[in-house]
Amino acid sequence: MASTAAVSSKARASSTEASLTPTRAFVPDPYLDLATYAAAADLLTLSLGPQHPSTHGVFRVVLYLDGELIVKAVPHVGYLHRGVEKLCEKLSYSNVTPILDKNDYVAPMCNEQAANMVFEQLLGVEVPLRAKFVRTLLAELQRIASHLLWLGTFAMDLGGALGGGTSVFMYCFRERELILDLFEELTGCRFHYNTHCIGGNRHDIPAGYPALVHQSLDLIEARLLEYLGMLEHPIFRDRTRGVGTVDAELALELGLTGPLLRASGIDHDLRRDAPYHVYDLLDVNVICDDGGDCYARYKVRLQEIAESIRLSRLLIDNLPAGPICSTKPLSGVTQFKITSGQAYVAIESPRGELGTWLIAGGKGMNPYRMKLRPPSLHALAAVPYLFPRHTLSDAVAILGSLDPIMGEADR
Amino acid sequence: MSKPPDESERNYEHPLYDYMLRVPGLDVAVTSIDQLLTWGATHSLWIFPMATSCCGIEFMAAAASRVDLDRMGAMIRGTPRQCDVMVVAGTITVKMAPRVKRLWDQMPEPKWCVAMGSCAISGDFYRDIYSVVPGIDTAIPVDVYIPGCPPNPETVMAGLLRLQDKVRLRRAGLPVPSDERPEVHDRTIVPTIGRYEDRKRRGGADPISEAQLESARRLLVRGFPMPEGIDAAATPVAPAKEEPKL
Repeated sequence: MASTAAVSSKARASSTEASLTPTRAFVPDPYLDLATYAAAADLLTLSLGPQHPSTHGVFRVVLYLDGELIVKAVPHVGYLHRGVEKLCEKLSYSNVTPILDKNDYVAPMCNEQAANMVFEQLLGVEVPLRAKFVRTLLAELQRIASHLLWLGTFAMDLGGALGGGTSVFMYCFRERELILDLFEELTGCRFHYNTHCIGGNRHDIPAGYPALVHQSLDLIEARLLEYLGMLEHPIFRDRTRGVGTVDAELALELGLTGPLLRASGIDHDLRRDAPYHVYDLLDVNVICDDGGDCYARYKVRLQEIAESIRLSRLLIDNLPAGPICSTKPLSGVTQFKITSGQAYVAIESPRGELGTWLIAGGKGMNPYRMKLRPPSLHALAAVPYLFPRHTLSDAVAILGSLDPIMGEADR
Repeated sequence: MSKPPDESERNYEHPLYDYMLRVPGLDVAVTSIDQLLTWGATHSLWIFPMATSCCGIEFMAAAASRVDLDRMGAMIRGTPRQCDVMVVAGTITVKMAPRVKRLWDQMPEPKWCVAMGSCAISGDFYRDIYSVVPGIDTAIPVDVYIPGCPPNPETVMAGLLRLQDKVRLRRAGLPVPSDERPEVHDRTIVPTIGRYEDRKRRGGADPISEAQLESARRLLVRGFPMPEGIDAAATPVAPAKEEPKL
């Protein structure tokens, strides 16, 4: 593949140890036939996962190592397959939302929104402007929380380079708790909010909430500088620069979206290019980077936190008055019936394009088919292309930078 | 602190006790060293997080800055061989359950298991789905159940305190009361999606492979015994689903 050929030779040129020299000068190939690799090579097969602290869940990848270099990586998914898509076919439309909370459990708000938007589109229900503002606000706050969690776990994956790595993790979780407190104040839950419903939101913004939001955002913004102080040092840069480079061509071919795509130099963001909610009223700065490596992904995500803070402030300051929900409160599971039609709705979740495709049919009580397009699954498809030619420790850094959530990848 | 139990009639079997009883002058120390060891055992519970899904994130939050399980001596370790407690946090699937069992077997005795969250306890609304195990206690013994979806970090800490009580009781040789398994609420919607042994499953469309049957048999899921000699071809075919009008 063109991309892996572009893996920086600069980073590897300094390593002169024999263990880092492959037995054969090979062209990285995700479909490499090991029998043809090199007869003299003594390949070691290493199964990383499904239980491994750095796999971010239950992901397994079988690595074939020549010395310390990976020559082939075969990913295995399905350790968290819960049959969510099939489950949605058994549930009424109003019962689907809490199920999808558990799908991408780091950004539950975005999952709820994607599902409810597709129902609203088929039902022809209008969402009040205030509810749209609240939804946008929740999505942006959720993006901050999700990226903070990613940063903490990524620093922990890099481990020894950052003094055990747990210090950044502790700092990130301190800030993430601030966001979760805001959600708890609004919905009563730290997780699995079930706050979106067809036609709007279930919980209105309480009095005094904007002040709380401003207070938390001010704290987080000030502390972002602390992260830069902790992370911007030579060891961190050495371990992330030139590691796991995805060029624009490969990123498009694999269907990468979100920060991964933007870190590869492609200026694409659904919030600006296909606006939903009230993103058309906002001027979203799309953050891009040309590096394509782990360092670029880190930079993009960190700047997206700052951008989300800016957007959240705008939204909470300009919150319009009005109703929060356009439909009657839920009286029973038969309240909403969609007898025919199909629709696809894609939103920009913290990990990329989160698509929901719904086919309605039958008696209109349940979805006939509900297809979810998880960004994490497509990110994991890059693993066989990115891992070869890297060492085992780099593989952990690459996997961390992809930010996979197995709940939505396995569904 | 509660009053230490009356230990005059107890028979100690640990070699350390034998040694201390044999050496004159050391018998006075027996009780206090016992208490010291108990204190050490309860406050150095090293945790192996079997984190699969959402509860894993909440468990991370419990271990992180705000709640901080470290102050109870509960350290998180990545390998089962160093750990005393396995916290099963998240949904356990049929594919994952044999791995969980294997990791559990790799942990040295004495060991404890905590089922965190409704998925690990009973499977919750996923319990009747073909790929999900209805509770991890079908595969390994559970000492403490922490209900919630997911439980708050504070609830996790309360569960850990309950586990410490159990550790104290076990070290004192007293009977350890077993935790009651929280059941799914009557009004919870539990959809059924064909399990391997489901006779209504359509036979021709997706035949069950022998390997699938074997892995399900090995799991010995409680309450869902595998019937011997299941004949996939003989099972009645489910009526075809109504086609949608697009």
